[in-house]
Amino acid sequence: MTTRAAGTTLVSAAPPPLAGLARSARIVVCCGSGGVGKTSTAAAVALWAAESGRRTCVLTIDPARRLAQALGLDLLSNAPRPVRAKGLSARGPGSLDAMMLDMRRTFDEVIERYARDAEQADRILANRFYQRLSSTLAGTQEYMAMEKLYELHESQRYDLLVVDTPPTRSALDFLDAPDNLNELLDARAFRLLIAPAQRIGRGYLRGLNLATTAMTKMVRRVTGSELLAEVGEFFAAFEGMYDGFKERAGLVYDQLKHPSTAFVVVATPDGAALREAAYFAGRLAADRMPLGALVVNRIHQTGPVPQVPAAARRRLAAGADGRLLADLLELHDGLETLAAAEQRRVRDLLATVPNLGVVQVPMLADDVHDLAGLRRLGAHLFA
Amino acid sequence: MLEVLDQARLLVVTGKGGTGKTTVAAGLAVAAAGRGRRVLVAEVEGRQGLAGLFGRRQLDHREARVAPGVNALAVDPDESLREYLARYGFAPLARLLSWAHLNRFITAAAPGLGDVLLVGKVWEAATREARSGSPGGYDLVVLDAPPTGRVVPFLRAPETVAELARVGPIRHQADRVRDLLDDPERTAVVLTCLPEELPVAETLEGVAALREAGLPVAAVVANQVTGDRLGGRAGRLAALARDPAPLAAAAAAAGARLDRAALGTLVDEARDRQRVVVRERRLLKELRAGVDGLPVVELPFLAGGAGGLEGVRALAGHLAPAGLWTAAGTASGRRLPSRSGAPASRGSDDAHPEAGEAGG
Repeated sequence: MTTRAAGTTLVSAAPPPLAGLARSARIVVCCGSGGVGKTSTAAAVALWAAESGRRTCVLTIDPARRLAQALGLDLLSNAPRPVRAKGLSARGPGSLDAMMLDMRRTFDEVIERYARDAEQADRILANRFYQRLSSTLAGTQEYMAMEKLYELHESQRYDLLVVDTPPTRSALDFLDAPDNLNELLDARAFRLLIAPAQRIGRGYLRGLNLATTAMTKMVRRVTGSELLAEVGEFFAAFEGMYDGFKERAGLVYDQLKHPSTAFVVVATPDGAALREAAYFAGRLAADRMPLGALVVNRIHQTGPVPQVPAAARRRLAAGADGRLLADLLELHDGLETLAAAEQRRVRDLLATVPNLGVVQVPMLADDVHDLAGLRRLGAHLFA
Repeated sequence: MLEVLDQARLLVVTGKGGTGKTTVAAGLAVAAAGRGRRVLVAEVEGRQGLAGLFGRRQLDHREARVAPGVNALAVDPDESLREYLARYGFAPLARLLSWAHLNRFITAAAPGLGDVLLVGKVWEAATREARSGSPGGYDLVVLDAPPTGRVVPFLRAPETVAELARVGPIRHQADRVRDLLDDPERTAVVLTCLPEELPVAETLEGVAALREAGLPVAAVVANQVTGDRLGGRAGRLAALARDPAPLAAAAAAAGARLDRAALGTLVDEARDRQRVVVRERRLLKELRAGVDGLPVVELPFLAGGAGGLEGVRALAGHLAPAGLWTAAGTASGRRLPSRSGAPASRGSDDAHPEAGEAGG
């Protein structure tokens, strides 16, 4: 039995890893499950980098407008805008821009930029299937984030791009996005399937075999014919744009793998969040993506308080302050148990990911919703 | 309105990410089973969140018994497509698609069709008995739905796709799914929330969006509310922070060896806790004011986290008497699960037919 508890000892495996990343990386991708403070962490890293003299842009693709709130902006447009909040003191050449991805507009912009001519762009933009694809299809958002990331990276306007991602499951789609959408857009087999619809507009049917025709009939019976016609027209209009999509997605994928990119996995000491973090770390390793650091937000900590034996605790019941003290001790015990469990869970995760730098951020007294809050968070992240 | 949770066929649980959506879905399932209902809890995002809570490595498209009276299911889009096609007499097409690895094209090409299939599977489970006219179905399906930001498009996916397919089985099924979802007698949407600023803001947006879409919102569950056992003594704590001498005296009188630094730590920790309690109170008040009469149920912060069946049972224990159910309990008159978090569903196992393999 120990007679004196030492308070919380935080797990740390390696030197503080974030400062190095924020100073030298070109792209930092923050990922993790929902509600772990990912958006705030991304914004705090971007602010720190900007105030350290780098031209920085933070890009969020989170559907909730949380970054906007965190930066005190009501609305972010689909292009980076300078953060002009009070108290932003970018040193030297440093600056901070922020943007919130509007996936539909990004998709439209991509179509307009890469279409052969205005006529092709108009045909695609007017297509009902395209309109639904660009605004509702799962994975589209992740794909468009890649397009935007590529565009910003190519522009060389920034030294550092900090990317916030949707919760873990979708963030995995972020890696899959190029493959998924390319597979869809380049789906020759699928185009065979919808060929009868194309024939209406394009006039080719040759090469279709009996099986495909039968299949098509069945699909039409299930979905109704208009769906197929819309899809067929979309694929016809999209002809010739596949290769560009594929090429750019490949370039972004290569950039993400590049050593100048760092993924930062964000979690809380909650079991589920850490399981997601472990899953994500594993997935990044499998894709050979550079994992830079683990940030664990909302850590509970305790100060050192000696053990008080049960007999003494019973005697505390004698007076009002004694009873209060007994309650304080009980509160402390609960906190200590919680803090120990959290550290155990963090250690368990680190055991599965060799050489991963970890930053633990204590539970902050207030929600982060302004630059001052981001700086307070930054002080812990870069301690 | 509250009785709906005892009578509902479908409980849709949504919420901002990280607010304990999956845990509350599992807790509600266990609590309902404790009241003698035959329950299926289903997840649709392939996250395997339910599996961990029920101590399983993995759940799949087969309904499997995970707790007394509770079956669980991880709905798989490909399997749903196969079932869907088979149900409407297109089994050969299903085989052909599978052979040609085209399932993904089908679900990806028709926007929302993947969601349609997932919603369709949940609808199938919730209405199984009514349609087949034979026992073996469930009294209640609890859906661990996508988060607030995506839940309306998800639940309305059948409508969206039906717009493109104005005739045929898709239109027909979309209508029947809508009938179930829009019926406040059979469906109840529950939102999970944390007593923190952004989750409260998003919950208010979510409630508004769901109501706007005509979906029957039944309650908000505020998760991880910090316990307040020092309430009313905040003033005394402030005084003791300035001058801990009375605490030191009480400690000395009881023979507890606590020096000034230790007492200072204890008071600081308590005052931090009080600040959290005060902030949470304020936010919960805002939440209650904003949801306009909707019941808000508070769940305590569980120190061990809510991982594992014990945590789920503890939550179920808090949910069962939480005022979400009919006062009289169920027709079978089973006792309510205890508040202490004792196994909430003990004794109800026999009330549940062996539905473990009922998924066929």
